[in-house]
Amino acid sequence: MSIASHDTASTPLPHPSSAQDAAAEPGREAPIADWVTIEDLDRDPFPIYARMRAEAPVHWVPAINRYMVVGFDACHEVEQDADRFSADEEGSLMKRSMGHSMLRKDDPEHQIDRASYGSTLRPATIKNVWMEIFAKNHRTWMDHLLAAGPGADFVWDYAAPYTADNLRLIMGFHSATQEDMQRWSQTLINGTGNYADDPEVWAQAERSSAEVDAAIDEMIPYLLRHPDASLLSGLASMPIPMEAIRANLKMTIGGGLNEPRDVLATTVWALLNRPEQLAAVQADPSLWGAAFEESVRWVAPIGMYPRQVTQATVLDGIRLPAGAHLGIVLGAANRDASRWDNAEEYDLLRPKQAHLAFGGGQHFCAGTWIARAQVAQVSLPAVFAELPGLRLAPPEASVDKGWVFRGMTQMPVAW
Amino acid sequence: MPTITYHQPSGERTTLEVAEGATVMRTAVTNGVPGIVGECGGQAMCATCHVYVRGDVALPERSEDEDEMLDCTSSERTDASRLGCQIAVGGGLDSLEVDVPASQV
Ligand code: HEM
Ligand code: FES
Repeated sequence: MSIASHDTASTPLPHPSSAQDAAAEPGREAPIADWVTIEDLDRDPFPIYARMRAEAPVHWVPAINRYMVVGFDACHEVEQDADRFSADEEGSLMKRSMGHSMLRKDDPEHQIDRASYGSTLRPATIKNVWMEIFAKNHRTWMDHLLAAGPGADFVWDYAAPYTADNLRLIMGFHSATQEDMQRWSQTLINGTGNYADDPEVWAQAERSSAEVDAAIDEMIPYLLRHPDASLLSGLASMPIPMEAIRANLKMTIGGGLNEPRDVLATTVWALLNRPEQLAAVQADPSLWGAAFEESVRWVAPIGMYPRQVTQATVLDGIRLPAGAHLGIVLGAANRDASRWDNAEEYDLLRPKQAHLAFGGGQHFCAGTWIARAQVAQVSLPAVFAELPGLRLAPPEASVDKGWVFRGMTQMPVAW
Repeated sequence: MPTITYHQPSGERTTLEVAEGATVMRTAVTNGVPGIVGECGGQAMCATCHVYVRGDVALPERSEDEDEMLDCTSSERTDASRLGCQIAVGGGLDSLEVDVPASQV
Protein backbone atom coordinates (compact mmCIF):
# COMPACT_ATOMS: atom_id res chain seq x y z
CA MET A 1 0.00 0.00 0.00
CA SER A 2 1.26 3.48 -0.71
CA ILE A 3 0.05 6.99 -0.32
CA ALA A 4 -0.94 8.18 -3.77
CA SER A 5 -1.98 11.71 -3.09
CA HIS A 6 -2.60 13.73 -0.05
CA ASP A 7 -3.48 17.34 0.20
CA THR A 8 -2.50 18.22 3.74
CA ALA A 9 0.70 18.24 5.73
CA SER A 10 -0.29 15.50 8.12
CA THR A 11 0.71 12.35 6.26
CA PRO A 12 -0.70 9.29 7.99
CA LEU A 13 2.00 7.13 9.47
CA PRO A 14 2.27 3.49 8.48
CA HIS A 15 1.31 1.23 11.38
CA PRO A 16 4.51 0.14 13.15
CA SER A 17 3.12 -3.13 14.42
CA SER A 18 4.30 -5.99 12.28
CA ALA A 19 6.66 -8.85 13.06
CA GLN A 20 9.12 -7.66 10.41
CA ASP A 21 9.47 -4.25 12.00
CA ALA A 22 9.89 -5.94 15.34
CA ALA A 23 12.78 -8.06 14.10
CA ALA A 24 14.52 -4.97 12.74
CA GLU A 25 14.19 -3.05 15.98
CA PRO A 26 15.78 -4.70 19.03
CA GLY A 27 13.75 -3.09 21.80
CA ARG A 28 14.63 -3.22 25.48
CA GLU A 29 14.01 -5.75 28.23
CA ALA A 30 10.84 -5.45 30.26
CA PRO A 31 11.38 -3.95 33.70
CA ILE A 32 10.87 -6.43 36.53
CA ALA A 33 7.97 -5.30 38.70
CA ASP A 34 8.88 -7.32 41.78
CA TRP A 35 7.12 -4.75 43.96
CA VAL A 36 3.68 -5.76 42.65
CA THR A 37 1.70 -8.13 44.88
CA ILE A 38 -1.59 -9.91 44.25
CA GLU A 39 -3.00 -8.63 47.56
CA ASP A 40 -2.37 -5.00 46.55
CA LEU A 41 -3.81 -5.57 43.07
CA ASP A 42 -6.92 -7.14 44.54
CA ARG A 43 -7.56 -4.20 46.87
CA ASP A 44 -6.85 -1.35 44.45
CA PRO A 45 -4.88 -1.99 41.25
CA PHE A 46 -5.10 1.54 39.85
CA PRO A 47 -2.18 3.25 41.63
CA ILE A 48 -0.06 0.20 40.73
CA TYR A 49 -1.07 0.48 37.07
CA ALA A 50 -0.32 4.21 37.06
CA ARG A 51 3.20 3.59 38.39
CA MET A 52 3.77 0.78 35.88
CA ARG A 53 2.51 2.80 32.90
CA ALA A 54 4.77 5.70 33.82
CA GLU A 55 7.76 3.35 33.66
CA ALA A 56 7.02 1.08 30.67
CA PRO A 57 4.05 -0.27 28.69
CA VAL A 58 5.02 -3.89 29.47
CA HIS A 59 6.49 -5.33 32.69
CA TRP A 60 7.57 -8.77 33.88
CA VAL A 61 5.59 -9.41 37.07
CA PRO A 62 7.01 -12.26 39.20
CA ALA A 63 3.94 -12.37 41.48
CA ILE A 64 1.76 -13.59 38.62
CA ASN A 65 4.53 -15.21 36.57
CA ARG A 66 3.53 -13.23 33.46
CA TYR A 67 4.26 -10.08 31.55
CA MET A 68 1.64 -7.45 32.21
CA VAL A 69 0.76 -5.24 29.23
CA VAL A 70 -0.48 -1.99 30.76
CA GLY A 71 -0.24 0.68 28.03
CA PHE A 72 -3.24 1.45 25.82
CA ASP A 73 -1.31 1.28 22.54
CA ALA A 74 0.39 -1.97 23.50
CA CYS A 75 -2.91 -3.63 24.54
CA HIS A 76 -4.55 -2.44 21.34
CA GLU A 77 -1.68 -3.77 19.24
CA VAL A 78 -2.01 -7.21 20.87
CA GLU A 79 -5.75 -7.34 20.28
CA GLN A 80 -5.47 -6.54 16.61
CA ASP A 81 -2.63 -9.01 15.85
CA ALA A 82 -3.68 -12.59 16.58
CA ASP A 83 -0.78 -13.99 14.53
CA ARG A 84 1.78 -12.73 17.01
CA PHE A 85 -0.43 -12.97 20.10
CA SER A 86 -2.40 -16.20 20.36
CA ALA A 87 -5.49 -16.72 22.49
CA ASP A 88 -4.81 -20.48 22.56
CA GLU A 89 -2.69 -20.32 25.68
CA GLU A 90 -0.69 -23.36 26.83
CA GLY A 91 -1.58 -24.57 30.30
CA SER A 92 -4.75 -22.47 30.33
CA LEU A 93 -6.76 -23.08 33.48
CA MET A 94 -9.83 -21.89 31.62
CA LYS A 95 -9.57 -24.91 29.33
CA ARG A 96 -9.42 -27.19 32.37
CA SER A 97 -12.33 -25.48 34.09
CA MET A 98 -14.68 -24.90 31.15
CA GLY A 99 -13.29 -26.91 28.22
CA HIS A 100 -11.75 -25.45 25.05
CA SER A 101 -14.08 -22.58 24.17
CA MET A 102 -13.94 -20.00 21.37
CA LEU A 103 -12.24 -17.59 23.76
CA ARG A 104 -9.09 -19.79 23.73
CA LYS A 105 -9.07 -20.53 20.00
CA ASP A 106 -7.58 -18.55 17.12
CA ASP A 107 -9.12 -18.07 13.68
CA PRO A 108 -10.07 -20.01 11.61
CA GLU A 109 -11.18 -22.50 14.34
CA HIS A 110 -12.44 -19.64 16.51
CA GLN A 111 -14.59 -18.26 13.70
CA ILE A 112 -16.60 -21.50 13.40
CA ASP A 113 -17.55 -21.40 17.08
CA ARG A 114 -18.23 -17.69 17.04
CA ALA A 115 -20.52 -18.00 13.99
CA SER A 116 -22.45 -20.77 15.78
CA TYR A 117 -23.88 -18.11 18.11
CA GLY A 118 -25.85 -16.77 15.14
CA SER A 119 -28.00 -13.72 15.70
CA THR A 120 -28.96 -14.37 19.36
CA LEU A 121 -26.68 -11.67 20.78
CA ARG A 122 -27.07 -9.21 17.91
CA PRO A 123 -29.00 -5.90 17.94
CA ALA A 124 -32.06 -6.96 15.95
CA THR A 125 -32.79 -9.92 18.25
CA ILE A 126 -32.15 -7.73 21.29
CA LYS A 127 -34.75 -5.27 20.04
CA ASN A 128 -37.31 -7.85 18.94
CA VAL A 129 -36.95 -10.36 21.76
CA TRP A 130 -34.68 -9.54 24.67
CA MET A 131 -35.68 -5.97 25.52
CA GLU A 132 -39.11 -7.12 26.66
CA ILE A 133 -37.58 -9.91 28.73
CA PHE A 134 -35.06 -7.51 30.31
CA ALA A 135 -37.92 -5.19 31.26
CA LYS A 136 -39.82 -8.08 32.84
CA ASN A 137 -36.79 -9.26 34.76
CA HIS A 138 -36.12 -5.74 35.94
CA ARG A 139 -39.69 -5.64 37.34
CA THR A 140 -39.23 -8.96 39.16
CA TRP A 141 -35.94 -8.06 40.78
CA MET A 142 -36.81 -4.44 41.48
CA ASP A 143 -39.85 -5.73 43.37
CA HIS A 144 -37.54 -8.09 45.21
CA LEU A 145 -35.25 -5.18 46.17
CA LEU A 146 -38.23 -3.10 47.29
CA ALA A 147 -39.52 -5.99 49.39
CA ALA A 148 -36.11 -6.45 50.98
CA GLY A 149 -36.39 -2.79 52.03
CA PRO A 150 -33.79 -0.14 52.88
CA GLY A 151 -30.54 -1.75 53.94
CA ALA A 152 -30.80 -4.27 51.09
CA ASP A 153 -27.68 -4.90 49.04
CA PHE A 154 -27.87 -3.46 45.53
CA VAL A 155 -25.50 -6.10 44.15
CA TRP A 156 -26.98 -9.23 45.72
CA ASP A 157 -30.66 -8.24 45.93
CA TYR A 158 -30.90 -6.70 42.46
CA ALA A 159 -27.93 -6.51 40.06
CA ALA A 160 -26.84 -10.15 40.36
CA PRO A 161 -30.26 -11.86 40.10
CA TYR A 162 -31.38 -9.43 37.36
CA THR A 163 -28.38 -10.09 35.12
CA ALA A 164 -28.40 -13.83 35.96
CA ASP A 165 -32.05 -14.16 34.97
CA ASN A 166 -31.41 -12.28 31.73
CA LEU A 167 -28.50 -14.55 30.85
CA ARG A 168 -30.50 -17.67 31.78
CA LEU A 169 -33.13 -16.84 29.15
CA ILE A 170 -30.68 -15.57 26.52
CA MET A 171 -28.87 -18.89 26.81
CA GLY A 172 -32.03 -21.02 26.96
CA PHE A 173 -31.57 -22.63 30.38
CA HIS A 174 -35.31 -22.78 31.10
CA SER A 175 -34.97 -25.62 33.58
CA ALA A 176 -32.40 -23.77 35.69
CA THR A 177 -32.83 -20.92 38.18
CA GLN A 178 -30.99 -17.63 38.37
CA GLU A 179 -29.31 -18.98 41.52
CA ASP A 180 -27.98 -21.92 39.47
CA MET A 181 -26.60 -19.45 36.92
CA GLN A 182 -24.84 -17.45 39.63
CA ARG A 183 -23.35 -20.55 41.27
CA TRP A 184 -22.20 -21.99 37.92
CA SER A 185 -20.69 -18.69 36.86
CA GLN A 186 -18.76 -18.10 40.07
CA THR A 187 -17.44 -21.65 40.52
CA LEU A 188 -16.36 -21.99 36.87
CA ILE A 189 -14.61 -18.62 37.06
CA ASN A 190 -12.94 -19.65 40.31
CA GLY A 191 -11.58 -22.71 38.47
CA THR A 192 -10.24 -20.47 35.73
CA GLY A 193 -8.31 -18.53 38.38
CA ASN A 194 -7.23 -21.52 40.47
CA TYR A 195 -3.48 -20.94 40.18
CA ALA A 196 -3.09 -22.20 43.75
CA ASP A 197 -4.47 -25.57 42.55
CA ASP A 198 -6.90 -25.78 45.47
CA PRO A 199 -8.66 -29.17 45.18
CA GLU A 200 -11.89 -27.82 46.68
CA VAL A 201 -12.06 -25.13 43.98
CA TRP A 202 -11.60 -27.80 41.29
CA ALA A 203 -14.26 -29.99 42.91
CA GLN A 204 -16.79 -27.15 42.84
CA ALA A 205 -15.94 -26.25 39.24
CA GLU A 206 -16.31 -29.90 38.20
CA ARG A 207 -19.66 -30.17 39.95
CA SER A 208 -20.93 -27.06 38.14
CA SER A 209 -19.54 -28.29 34.86
CA ALA A 210 -21.47 -31.55 35.27
CA GLU A 211 -24.63 -29.65 36.21
CA VAL A 212 -24.34 -27.45 33.11
CA ASP A 213 -23.82 -30.55 30.95
CA ALA A 214 -26.95 -32.11 32.43
CA ALA A 215 -28.95 -28.92 31.85
CA ILE A 216 -27.77 -28.78 28.21
CA ASP A 217 -28.75 -32.43 27.67
CA GLU A 218 -32.13 -31.76 29.22
CA MET A 219 -32.84 -28.57 27.24
CA ILE A 220 -31.74 -29.62 23.73
CA PRO A 221 -34.63 -32.05 23.04
CA TYR A 222 -37.07 -29.54 24.51
CA LEU A 223 -35.74 -26.65 22.40
CA LEU A 224 -35.78 -28.78 19.25
CA ARG A 225 -39.52 -29.10 19.82
CA HIS A 226 -40.04 -25.54 21.11
CA PRO A 227 -37.43 -23.39 19.38
CA ASP A 228 -36.83 -19.85 20.66
CA ALA A 229 -34.26 -17.08 20.15
CA SER A 230 -31.81 -18.49 22.75
CA LEU A 231 -28.23 -19.62 22.16
CA LEU A 232 -28.99 -23.21 23.10
CA SER A 233 -31.97 -23.34 20.76
CA GLY A 234 -29.83 -22.18 17.84
CA LEU A 235 -27.03 -24.58 18.74
CA ALA A 236 -29.41 -27.55 19.09
CA SER A 237 -29.64 -27.93 15.32
CA MET A 238 -26.08 -26.85 14.50
CA PRO A 239 -23.54 -29.29 13.02
CA ILE A 240 -20.90 -28.45 15.60
CA PRO A 241 -19.23 -30.86 18.06
CA MET A 242 -21.05 -31.19 21.38
CA GLU A 243 -17.73 -30.67 23.16
CA ALA A 244 -17.39 -27.20 21.60
CA ILE A 245 -21.00 -26.33 22.41
CA ARG A 246 -20.50 -27.27 26.07
CA ALA A 247 -17.26 -25.31 26.38
CA ASN A 248 -18.67 -22.22 24.66
CA LEU A 249 -21.77 -22.19 26.83
CA LYS A 250 -19.74 -22.61 30.05
CA MET A 251 -17.46 -19.75 28.99
CA THR A 252 -20.52 -17.63 28.25
CA ILE A 253 -22.01 -18.38 31.68
CA GLY A 254 -18.70 -17.21 33.15
CA GLY A 255 -18.44 -14.16 30.87
CA GLY A 256 -22.04 -13.00 30.52
CA LEU A 257 -23.21 -12.61 34.11
CA ASN A 258 -20.61 -11.06 36.40
CA GLU A 259 -19.62 -8.34 33.94
CA PRO A 260 -23.05 -6.75 33.41
CA ARG A 261 -23.70 -7.17 37.15
CA ASP A 262 -20.46 -5.37 37.92
CA VAL A 263 -20.88 -2.51 35.48
CA LEU A 264 -24.42 -1.97 36.73
CA ALA A 265 -23.39 -1.69 40.38
CA THR A 266 -20.22 0.28 39.61
CA THR A 267 -22.19 2.84 37.60
CA VAL A 268 -24.77 3.29 40.36
CA TRP A 269 -21.96 3.63 42.92
CA ALA A 270 -20.12 6.18 40.74
CA LEU A 271 -23.26 8.27 40.24
CA LEU A 272 -24.38 8.18 43.88
CA ASN A 273 -20.94 9.49 44.82
CA ARG A 274 -21.16 12.27 42.19
CA PRO A 275 -24.53 14.02 42.55
CA GLU A 276 -23.76 16.64 39.85
CA GLN A 277 -23.20 13.89 37.27
CA LEU A 278 -26.31 12.04 38.40
CA ALA A 279 -28.29 15.25 37.99
CA ALA A 280 -26.86 15.71 34.48
CA VAL A 281 -27.91 12.27 33.33
CA GLN A 282 -31.33 12.57 34.94
CA ALA A 283 -31.86 15.86 33.13
CA ASP A 284 -30.79 14.30 29.81
CA PRO A 285 -31.62 10.59 29.54
CA SER A 286 -29.66 10.32 26.29
CA LEU A 287 -26.58 10.32 28.57
CA TRP A 288 -27.24 6.85 30.04
CA GLY A 289 -25.14 5.37 27.25
CA ALA A 290 -22.25 7.66 28.19
CA ALA A 291 -22.70 6.81 31.89
CA PHE A 292 -22.32 3.12 30.97
CA GLU A 293 -19.33 3.53 28.62
CA GLU A 294 -17.50 5.73 31.09
CA SER A 295 -18.12 3.14 33.79
CA VAL A 296 -16.59 0.25 31.81
CA ARG A 297 -13.68 2.49 30.88
CA TRP A 298 -13.12 3.61 34.47
CA VAL A 299 -13.43 0.14 36.03
CA ALA A 300 -13.11 -2.51 33.32
CA PRO A 301 -15.16 -5.49 34.59
CA ILE A 302 -12.69 -7.86 32.87
CA GLY A 303 -9.49 -6.30 34.12
CA MET A 304 -7.07 -8.73 32.50
CA TYR A 305 -7.11 -11.60 30.01
CA PRO A 306 -4.29 -13.83 28.76
CA ARG A 307 -2.44 -14.14 25.46
CA GLN A 308 0.69 -16.04 24.43
CA VAL A 309 3.47 -14.75 22.17
CA THR A 310 3.91 -16.98 19.10
CA GLN A 311 7.34 -15.69 18.00
CA ALA A 312 10.05 -13.51 19.54
CA THR A 313 8.85 -9.98 19.06
CA VAL A 314 8.95 -6.39 20.25
CA LEU A 315 5.81 -4.86 21.70
CA ASP A 316 5.78 -1.08 22.01
CA GLY A 317 9.55 -1.08 22.48
CA ILE A 318 9.72 -4.06 24.87
CA ARG A 319 11.33 -7.35 23.85
CA LEU A 320 9.26 -10.50 24.34
CA PRO A 321 10.51 -14.09 23.86
CA ALA A 322 8.54 -16.70 21.91
CA GLY A 323 6.08 -18.50 24.16
CA ALA A 324 5.88 -15.65 26.70
CA HIS A 325 2.64 -15.53 28.68
CA LEU A 326 1.02 -12.11 28.72
CA GLY A 327 -1.75 -10.52 30.75
CA ILE A 328 -3.53 -7.89 28.69
CA VAL A 329 -4.51 -5.43 31.40
CA LEU A 330 -7.60 -3.63 30.11
CA GLY A 331 -8.07 -2.08 33.55
CA ALA A 332 -4.75 -0.29 33.07
CA ALA A 333 -5.09 0.50 29.34
CA ASN A 334 -8.41 2.20 29.99
CA ARG A 335 -6.78 4.70 32.35
CA ASP A 336 -3.80 5.54 30.16
CA ALA A 337 -3.13 9.25 30.74
CA SER A 338 -1.71 9.62 27.23
CA ARG A 339 -5.24 8.95 25.92
CA TRP A 340 -7.57 10.42 28.56
CA ASP A 341 -7.29 13.63 30.55
CA ASN A 342 -7.92 13.02 34.20
CA ALA A 343 -8.05 9.31 33.41
CA GLU A 344 -8.42 8.19 37.03
CA GLU A 345 -11.70 10.06 37.42
CA TYR A 346 -15.23 9.00 36.49
CA ASP A 347 -16.59 11.72 34.19
CA LEU A 348 -19.50 10.77 31.96
CA LEU A 349 -19.32 14.16 30.24
CA ARG A 350 -15.74 13.70 29.01
CA PRO A 351 -15.17 13.69 25.20
CA LYS A 352 -16.10 10.27 23.82
CA GLN A 353 -13.25 7.98 22.83
CA ALA A 354 -13.01 4.25 22.14
CA HIS A 355 -11.92 2.21 25.20
CA LEU A 356 -10.87 -1.43 25.46
CA ALA A 357 -13.32 -2.79 28.06
CA PHE A 358 -14.92 -5.12 25.48
CA GLY A 359 -11.58 -6.26 24.09
CA GLY A 360 -10.96 -6.05 20.36
CA GLY A 361 -10.16 -7.97 17.20
CA GLN A 362 -11.37 -11.56 16.76
CA HIS A 363 -12.50 -11.90 20.37
CA PHE A 364 -14.29 -8.56 20.62
CA CYS A 365 -17.01 -9.25 23.18
CA ALA A 366 -19.92 -11.09 21.58
CA GLY A 367 -22.22 -9.77 24.32
CA THR A 368 -21.40 -6.05 23.99
CA TRP A 369 -24.85 -5.05 22.78
CA ILE A 370 -26.61 -7.35 25.27
CA ALA A 371 -24.69 -5.67 28.09
CA ARG A 372 -25.47 -2.16 26.83
CA ALA A 373 -29.16 -2.95 26.38
CA GLN A 374 -29.82 -4.60 29.73
CA VAL A 375 -27.77 -2.13 31.77
CA ALA A 376 -27.85 1.25 30.00
CA GLN A 377 -31.21 1.04 28.23
CA VAL A 378 -33.33 -0.92 30.72
CA SER A 379 -31.91 -1.04 34.21
CA LEU A 380 -30.10 2.23 34.97
CA PRO A 381 -32.91 4.59 33.88
CA ALA A 382 -35.53 2.47 35.65
CA VAL A 383 -33.57 2.16 38.91
CA PHE A 384 -33.12 5.92 39.27
CA ALA A 385 -36.68 6.68 38.14
CA GLU A 386 -38.23 4.26 40.63
CA LEU A 387 -35.90 5.06 43.52
CA PRO A 388 -35.44 8.84 43.38
CA GLY A 389 -34.03 8.87 46.90
CA LEU A 390 -31.54 6.07 46.27
CA ARG A 391 -28.42 6.42 48.42
CA LEU A 392 -25.51 4.40 49.72
CA ALA A 393 -26.33 3.43 53.28
CA PRO A 394 -23.80 4.14 54.54
CA PRO A 395 -21.33 5.11 51.78
CA GLU A 396 -18.34 3.61 53.59
CA ALA A 397 -19.98 0.16 53.66
CA SER A 398 -19.61 -0.26 49.89
CA VAL A 399 -16.68 -2.43 48.81
CA ASP A 400 -15.03 -2.41 45.38
CA LYS A 401 -12.61 -5.23 44.88
CA GLY A 402 -10.64 -7.33 42.42
CA TRP A 403 -8.31 -6.84 39.47
CA VAL A 404 -8.69 -9.78 37.01
CA PHE A 405 -12.39 -9.15 37.50
CA ARG A 406 -13.35 -5.98 39.35
CA GLY A 407 -16.64 -4.82 40.74
CA MET A 408 -18.66 -4.04 43.86
CA THR A 409 -18.78 -6.96 46.27
CA GLN A 410 -21.01 -5.21 48.78
CA MET A 411 -23.23 -2.16 48.39
CA PRO A 412 -25.98 -1.59 50.96
CA VAL A 413 -28.53 1.02 49.84
CA ALA A 414 -31.57 2.86 51.13
CA TRP A 415 -34.19 5.11 49.47
CA MET B 1 -4.00 0.05 -8.44
CA PRO B 2 -7.41 0.74 -6.91
CA THR B 3 -7.72 3.75 -4.62
CA ILE B 4 -9.75 4.68 -1.56
CA THR B 5 -10.28 8.33 -0.68
CA TYR B 6 -11.23 9.44 2.82
CA HIS B 7 -12.79 12.85 3.46
CA GLN B 8 -12.57 14.04 7.05
CA PRO B 9 -15.22 16.32 8.62
CA SER B 10 -12.47 18.99 8.69
CA GLY B 11 -12.27 18.85 4.89
CA GLU B 12 -8.93 17.07 4.93
CA ARG B 13 -8.64 14.43 2.21
CA THR B 14 -6.46 11.30 2.01
CA THR B 15 -6.19 9.06 -1.04
CA LEU B 16 -4.51 5.67 -0.67
CA GLU B 17 -3.50 3.17 -3.34
CA VAL B 18 -4.48 -0.28 -2.19
CA ALA B 19 -4.41 -3.91 -3.23
CA GLU B 20 -7.47 -5.59 -4.79
CA GLY B 21 -9.95 -6.58 -2.10
CA ALA B 22 -8.74 -4.08 0.52
CA THR B 23 -11.54 -2.95 2.81
CA VAL B 24 -12.24 0.64 3.75
CA MET B 25 -11.78 -0.20 7.45
CA ARG B 26 -8.52 -2.21 7.23
CA THR B 27 -6.94 0.33 4.87
CA ALA B 28 -7.78 3.19 7.22
CA VAL B 29 -6.55 1.41 10.34
CA THR B 30 -3.24 0.19 8.87
CA ASN B 31 -2.49 3.64 7.43
CA GLY B 32 -3.49 5.64 10.46
CA VAL B 33 -6.40 7.45 8.79
CA PRO B 34 -8.18 9.11 11.71
CA GLY B 35 -11.84 8.63 12.55
CA ILE B 36 -12.17 4.91 11.78
CA VAL B 37 -11.71 2.63 14.77
CA GLY B 38 -12.60 -0.92 13.66
CA GLU B 39 -12.54 -2.35 17.17
CA CYS B 40 -14.03 -5.77 16.30
CA GLY B 41 -11.51 -6.37 13.55
CA GLY B 42 -14.11 -6.53 10.79
CA GLN B 43 -16.80 -8.84 12.18
CA ALA B 44 -19.67 -6.38 11.69
CA MET B 45 -20.06 -6.34 15.45
CA CYS B 46 -18.83 -2.99 16.80
CA ALA B 47 -20.14 -0.30 14.41
CA THR B 48 -16.95 1.78 14.85
CA CYS B 49 -16.01 1.68 11.14
CA HIS B 50 -19.04 3.63 9.88
CA VAL B 51 -18.55 5.66 6.67
CA TYR B 52 -20.73 7.50 4.16
CA VAL B 53 -20.06 6.36 0.59
CA ARG B 54 -19.93 9.14 -2.02
CA GLY B 55 -21.60 8.78 -5.39
CA ASP B 56 -23.62 5.97 -6.84
CA VAL B 57 -21.16 3.08 -6.82
CA ALA B 58 -21.94 -0.59 -7.36
CA LEU B 59 -21.34 -2.11 -3.94
CA PRO B 60 -22.76 -5.41 -2.74
CA GLU B 61 -26.05 -5.16 -0.83
CA ARG B 62 -25.91 -4.72 2.91
CA SER B 63 -26.12 -8.05 4.71
CA GLU B 64 -28.57 -8.43 7.59
CA ASP B 65 -25.67 -8.19 10.04
CA GLU B 66 -24.43 -4.97 8.47
CA ASP B 67 -27.90 -3.50 8.30
CA GLU B 68 -28.70 -3.99 12.00
CA MET B 69 -25.26 -2.74 13.03
CA LEU B 70 -25.78 0.44 11.02
CA ASP B 71 -28.72 1.11 13.35
CA CYS B 72 -26.16 1.27 16.20
CA THR B 73 -23.77 3.87 14.81
CA SER B 74 -22.79 6.91 16.83
CA SER B 75 -23.22 9.37 13.96
CA GLU B 76 -26.53 9.46 12.15
CA ARG B 77 -27.33 6.70 9.65
CA THR B 78 -28.13 7.88 6.11
CA ASP B 79 -28.78 6.12 2.81
CA ALA B 80 -25.04 6.43 2.16
CA SER B 81 -24.06 4.66 5.41
CA ARG B 82 -21.94 1.51 5.23
CA LEU B 83 -19.66 -0.40 7.56
CA GLY B 84 -16.10 0.17 6.35
CA CYS B 85 -15.21 -3.45 7.15
CA GLN B 86 -17.87 -4.78 4.80
CA ILE B 87 -16.94 -2.83 1.66
CA ALA B 88 -13.85 -3.21 -0.50
CA VAL B 89 -12.36 -2.03 -3.77
CA GLY B 90 -11.43 -4.38 -6.61
CA GLY B 91 -13.38 -6.64 -8.91
CA GLY B 92 -14.36 -3.87 -11.29
CA LEU B 93 -14.64 -1.20 -8.61
CA ASP B 94 -11.46 0.83 -9.01
CA SER B 95 -12.08 3.63 -6.60
CA LEU B 96 -14.16 4.44 -3.57
CA GLU B 97 -14.68 7.80 -1.93
CA VAL B 98 -16.03 7.95 1.58
CA ASP B 99 -16.83 10.58 4.17
CA VAL B 100 -15.62 9.78 7.67
CA PRO B 101 -18.32 10.62 10.27
CA ALA B 102 -17.74 13.05 13.12
CA SER B 103 -17.82 10.27 15.73
CA GLN B 104 -17.59 6.48 15.96
CA VAL B 105 -18.31 5.94 19.65
C1 HEM C 1 -20.10 -5.05 30.51
C2 HEM C 1 -20.19 -6.32 30.27
C3 HEM C 1 -19.14 -7.12 29.55
C4 HEM C 1 -17.80 -6.88 29.42
C5 HEM C 1 -16.99 -5.72 29.98
C6 HEM C 1 -17.25 -7.96 28.59
C7 HEM C 1 -15.93 -8.06 28.22
C8 HEM C 1 -15.42 -9.02 27.35
C9 HEM C 1 -14.06 -9.09 26.92
C10 HEM C 1 -12.94 -8.15 27.34
C11 HEM C 1 -13.94 -10.15 26.06
C12 HEM C 1 -12.68 -10.62 25.35
C13 HEM C 1 -11.81 -11.44 26.23
C14 HEM C 1 -10.61 -11.99 25.53
O1 HEM C 1 -10.30 -11.58 24.40
O2 HEM C 1 -9.93 -12.86 26.10
C15 HEM C 1 -15.25 -10.76 25.96
C16 HEM C 1 -15.54 -11.86 25.19
C17 HEM C 1 -16.78 -12.47 25.16
N1 HEM C 1 -17.92 -12.04 25.82
FE1 HEM C 1 -18.12 -10.38 26.96
N2 HEM C 1 -18.26 -8.82 28.27
C18 HEM C 1 -19.43 -8.34 28.82
C19 HEM C 1 -20.69 -8.91 28.71
C20 HEM C 1 -20.97 -10.06 28.02
C21 HEM C 1 -22.29 -10.66 27.94
C22 HEM C 1 -23.55 -10.10 28.57
C23 HEM C 1 -22.15 -11.80 27.18
C24 HEM C 1 -23.18 -12.82 26.77
C25 HEM C 1 -24.45 -12.71 26.82
C26 HEM C 1 -20.76 -11.90 26.78
C27 HEM C 1 -20.24 -12.89 25.99
C28 HEM C 1 -18.94 -12.94 25.53
C29 HEM C 1 -18.44 -13.98 24.65
C30 HEM C 1 -19.23 -15.16 24.07
C31 HEM C 1 -17.08 -13.68 24.41
C32 HEM C 1 -16.10 -14.48 23.56
C33 HEM C 1 -15.95 -13.88 22.19
C34 HEM C 1 -14.94 -14.60 21.35
O3 HEM C 1 -14.06 -15.32 21.86
O4 HEM C 1 -15.02 -14.45 20.12
N3 HEM C 1 -20.08 -10.82 27.31
N4 HEM C 1 -16.14 -10.05 26.75
S1 FES D 1 -14.81 -3.20 12.30
FE1 FES D 1 -16.37 -3.63 13.74
S2 FES D 1 -18.16 -3.37 12.58
FE2 FES D 1 -16.63 -2.98 11.13
